[in-house]
Amino acid sequence: MSTASVLAQPRKRSLLRRLPIVAQLNQSVGVQRFMLLTGVIITSVYVLVAIFADVIAPYSYSALSGADGRNFGSQQPPGAAHLWGTTVGGLDVFSRTIYGARTALIVVVVAVVLSMVIGVLLGLLSGYFGGPLDRVLVVICDAIYAFPSLLLAIVISIMISGGQSTFWSGILSAAFSITVVYVPQYFRVVRAEVVRVKAEAFVESAKVIGARHSRILFRHVLRNSIRTLPLIITLNATEAFETLAGLGFLGFGIAPSAAGEWGYDLQKALADVTSGIWWTALFPGLAIVFLALGISLMGESLNDLADPRLRRRQADAGESAVPAETVVEAQS
Amino acid sequence: MTTSVDTVPAPDAPASIQPSGTASRQGGGLIRYLIVRFLLIFPTIFILVTLVFFLMRATGDPITAAQGGHVPPAQLKHLIHEAGYDRPLIVQYLQYLGQIARGDFGTTFTDHQKVTTVLLTYGSATLELAFYALIVAFLVGIPLGLLAAYIRDRWGDAVLRILAVLFYATPVFFSGLLLKLIFASWLDVLPVAGRASTSVELEMQLLPHPTGIYLIDAFRTGDPAAVPDVLEHAVLPAVALGLLTAGVFLRLVRTNVIGTFNTQYVDAARSRGVGEFRLVTKHAYKPALIPIITVIGLQIALLLGGAVLTETTFEWKGLGFQLNAYLGSRDFVAVQGIVALLAVIVAVVNFIVDVIAALIDPRVRF
Amino acid sequence: MKSVSARRARLLGAAAALAATALVLAGCASGNSGSSSKTITIGTTDKITSLDPAGAYDNGSFAVMTQVYPFLFDTPYGSPDVKPDIAESGTFTDPNTFEVKLKTGLKFANGHKLTSSDVKFTFDRQLKIADPNGPSSLLGNLASVTTPDDTTVDFHLKTANDQTFEQVLSSPAGPIVDEQVFSADKVTPDDDIVKGEAFAGQYKITSYKVNQLIQYQAFSGYKGLLAPAKTKTIDVKYYANASNLKLDVQKGAVDVAYRSLAATDIASLRKDKNVKVVDGPGGEIRYIVFNFDTMPFGAKTADADAKKALAVRQAVADVVDRQAIATQVFKDTYTPLYSYVPDGLTGATKSLETMYGDGKGGPDVDKAKATLAAAGITGKVKLNIQFTTDHYGPSSQDEYDLIVDQLNKSGLFTATDDSTEYVQYSKDRVNDVYPEYQLGWFPDYSDADNYLTPFFSKDNFVANHYDDAEVQKLITEEIGTTDSDARTKLIEEIQDKVAAELPTLPLLQGSQVAVVGKDVKGATLDASFKFRYATLSK
Repeated sequence: MSTASVLAQPRKRSLLRRLPIVAQLNQSVGVQRFMLLTGVIITSVYVLVAIFADVIAPYSYSALSGADGRNFGSQQPPGAAHLWGTTVGGLDVFSRTIYGARTALIVVVVAVVLSMVIGVLLGLLSGYFGGPLDRVLVVICDAIYAFPSLLLAIVISIMISGGQSTFWSGILSAAFSITVVYVPQYFRVVRAEVVRVKAEAFVESAKVIGARHSRILFRHVLRNSIRTLPLIITLNATEAFETLAGLGFLGFGIAPSAAGEWGYDLQKALADVTSGIWWTALFPGLAIVFLALGISLMGESLNDLADPRLRRRQADAGESAVPAETVVEAQS
Repeated sequence: MTTSVDTVPAPDAPASIQPSGTASRQGGGLIRYLIVRFLLIFPTIFILVTLVFFLMRATGDPITAAQGGHVPPAQLKHLIHEAGYDRPLIVQYLQYLGQIARGDFGTTFTDHQKVTTVLLTYGSATLELAFYALIVAFLVGIPLGLLAAYIRDRWGDAVLRILAVLFYATPVFFSGLLLKLIFASWLDVLPVAGRASTSVELEMQLLPHPTGIYLIDAFRTGDPAAVPDVLEHAVLPAVALGLLTAGVFLRLVRTNVIGTFNTQYVDAARSRGVGEFRLVTKHAYKPALIPIITVIGLQIALLLGGAVLTETTFEWKGLGFQLNAYLGSRDFVAVQGIVALLAVIVAVVNFIVDVIAALIDPRVRF
Repeated sequence: MKSVSARRARLLGAAAALAATALVLAGCASGNSGSSSKTITIGTTDKITSLDPAGAYDNGSFAVMTQVYPFLFDTPYGSPDVKPDIAESGTFTDPNTFEVKLKTGLKFANGHKLTSSDVKFTFDRQLKIADPNGPSSLLGNLASVTTPDDTTVDFHLKTANDQTFEQVLSSPAGPIVDEQVFSADKVTPDDDIVKGEAFAGQYKITSYKVNQLIQYQAFSGYKGLLAPAKTKTIDVKYYANASNLKLDVQKGAVDVAYRSLAATDIASLRKDKNVKVVDGPGGEIRYIVFNFDTMPFGAKTADADAKKALAVRQAVADVVDRQAIATQVFKDTYTPLYSYVPDGLTGATKSLETMYGDGKGGPDVDKAKATLAAAGITGKVKLNIQFTTDHYGPSSQDEYDLIVDQLNKSGLFTATDDSTEYVQYSKDRVNDVYPEYQLGWFPDYSDADNYLTPFFSKDNFVANHYDDAEVQKLITEEIGTTDSDARTKLIEEIQDKVAAELPTLPLLQGSQVAVVGKDVKGATLDASFKFRYATLSK
């Protein structure tokens, strides 16, 4: 064993341990670890399904017939040919549910990236520089926050797509409307943090030693301000794909010939359910619920771990003081 | 570590816990803060009204929506011209502003109703649903939240928190479908949808001045069957919508109660030998209440505007449901009117929330 | 501060607890408020635009008007042709004057007399108001109305011997209104109409909440063509969601569900012993429009060739399997449509059945291949069919996916379909954006002409650049032909001619379906396409 590898070993591990989520996983214990782990596992399963949808799904999301050229037939019950049955339109439920994961995750990524970038930037600038710009932004954000997001999504979907139910128009209308609604939320949180952090000693001292604005903003203020973001990100992510599903449910979503989409399938399944055909609604419905569960569990756990009051510290974390919680438990 | 108001509820309720920071730091008298905060209501409403005006115009016109499949193109163009929808946008916008300044919200295009009538009729329905939903949210969210705080970091806590996530993450059109199937279709103990049975609804329509709040109207009919009938119809929609908020409350109560355990206030109680259970239910929850109140305010706003899916699922003909219908037929007048009302409500609720926050915690008034 | 907020919270908590108890109690006391046998409850997903005939031109509003307003002419039960309703007679006194004699002693429910003056008022205001939501476009042939005396009305027409005018009088433009209640130059608000009791049909409205609940009571003063109402009280409940209506009719919470249950629901209700499914002929048709300018080989395309374009249309007609669409997508609530005038109306043919496909209504790929080859088309023809999801029923998507599937499987086409939200769709389709697209039609009145003039005469609403002088001449001739046999012949000829050209491709004809409780009798669905509550009883 060379010295180099000995040196490399601990450094590597620490890098791995410093990765987000992995770091938190190591930090967590007991129930908290279980919840975080559950969230991570569920979410990863969805990510994998989304990536390998072509491999997993037996048919295309829009296929009405298999290789033999014969139509599947509508509302076939689950069986060997169709694991989860077929829809009223004669599509394979299993394949559509699988492909739905891909659509949902694309929406999530687009919406989160857009809202976060815009919201955080605006929040940083507004909070750091203050002044009239800050006031105007605050008022606008207040106002926009009041607009019902789903209705905004409908209007936007009509606007950006001219009402066309294609793949990207559905994705973008859900993503844009969620962006519009969530930018104010990132904005508020980041701005509030910035206002707080700005007054703290290390920023003041950076100013005193003549650091540039951009450096102060991104090195000092941003890093300290984004601690509070995980929960918003997960809420944002959940709401993004649920808005897409809501759009689909109200008939403004993505056409089944363009992609698999759970909300659309659920809407089409309404009549089925009341007629005793359960498989067309159950699977897309559960797909939505579990994805929301996975993302939310992950977000909540990360949030709790970031919040010192809620964190259960690891015994080996080197804290000498006995955490308050433990005392409480002992008393009860 | 910062405490209470400013950090705790932020993730759940990003709006408005932070006041809008316009009053200057130095001159932060309460009265002045309140005035500035009050005046801020108006630009909020103005921005929303403007936003919705231009958004709507970008999506087409109500005449094409109504007649596009009937009428030859030339005639359609003529009708649009007659209605004035082909004038420059800015002209239409100024005219609209002039109208609402005079308090005239116009008449809806699609069903020839006065917008004010629409707001009253459907607004009362939404208000009633929001009220029931809040009750469900309280009854489910707060006790379970206290319980979760009490048994925190044990398996029961994990179950409760997963439950909370399920509550607020299940889309209402899915949970509504399940509820209907189970309770209305299979067990047949509750009605499928609607706000009252036909006969009861007729009785209420015959009242001299129906309030539109069915619970009140049902009492006024004097029919002993009316009140149970109305409440019976409210159960499923209230549960479906209420659980969404209950999930949020559960989280919030748990987080904040745990948070207050560490404060000196609770430490003091604990040192006096107050039992742990009593500590949770009596002492720790009091300071935790402040952020909860603010979130309730925000939830009211959300319940009013965001109930489209619940209202559609359960035939609860309220504002959200109606707004979606008007949107489909590009009824500018109606959509603008309803959004203006929502804007007013949300702005006022935000104002009240900020005032409460300011009264409770002077540090907020910077 | 803290104590205040805490007290308020406690108060709130108490109120919450109380209300919750009430909720739970209510849940237990499942009060089945049974309606008396004198009342029939109808559920519908229709929507009302206005009770004023000048302010509405849609099925939902017309369904109400049919019950509460009198018509000069109306369709008797079971027939598509019209007879005088509150009129004694109607005749052409000269080619441009249609004279209607009213019955005597007619009254509105509010006691006002119904005279020729009300009739004149009705049509004058239709023309004057010309509301964008209204049906005034149906009165295009009406020049003026005069009233020689209290019971005589003279309609002065622009085109001579208009054989459709009697039908127009039974259409959404035809309900007679009370001049003492309605405004002469504005659409009258619903509440004013109800308060003014301006009704004189088989029923009057006694309680009204728009798009929620209407109560009708039989009107004893109705002296028209139709038999008096069998059931005194009818309640109509408005649903937004068809699946809720389905559950309610199944549970018996409504006695009759009329318009529009999902095909799946109807199929499952057919197996339910507690309800009966009543079928009747439907006037609704679904079809594909070809834009003569922009379709493959269309007049404004790079490789314009009218012959090839026709061959493409014919090949599509050869390949589509209507029965498969009707069965798979619509569970046979629609039936194949082989002509322009739907089955059940006087003059309907089956022109396309013999002309295209296997000659028996089925598809024939070889024939399509031959047609294309004969026109010199080699290689696959690209088709992008547009449809809208939110106007012609929720099944449009499945319908067009299946059509595209059929076209692609023939090996002759590369077909795709795209959907657009209805308002944008309505704009785009008349601006030549779509080469091939979906439309549907619900008739204004049950006359064959209503399926010809709006589609194939000049300046039609389809606006697909189809313009055939001979067909137009025949249509004008048909409208003015007084001899009914000769007129029927002309109508048949028009259909054959149009079928050869295929400006539109008829696909399906909707049937009317009502679902009634097992003890409900008398539901009548006929080619008048009007559902009258008056025949119902239980």
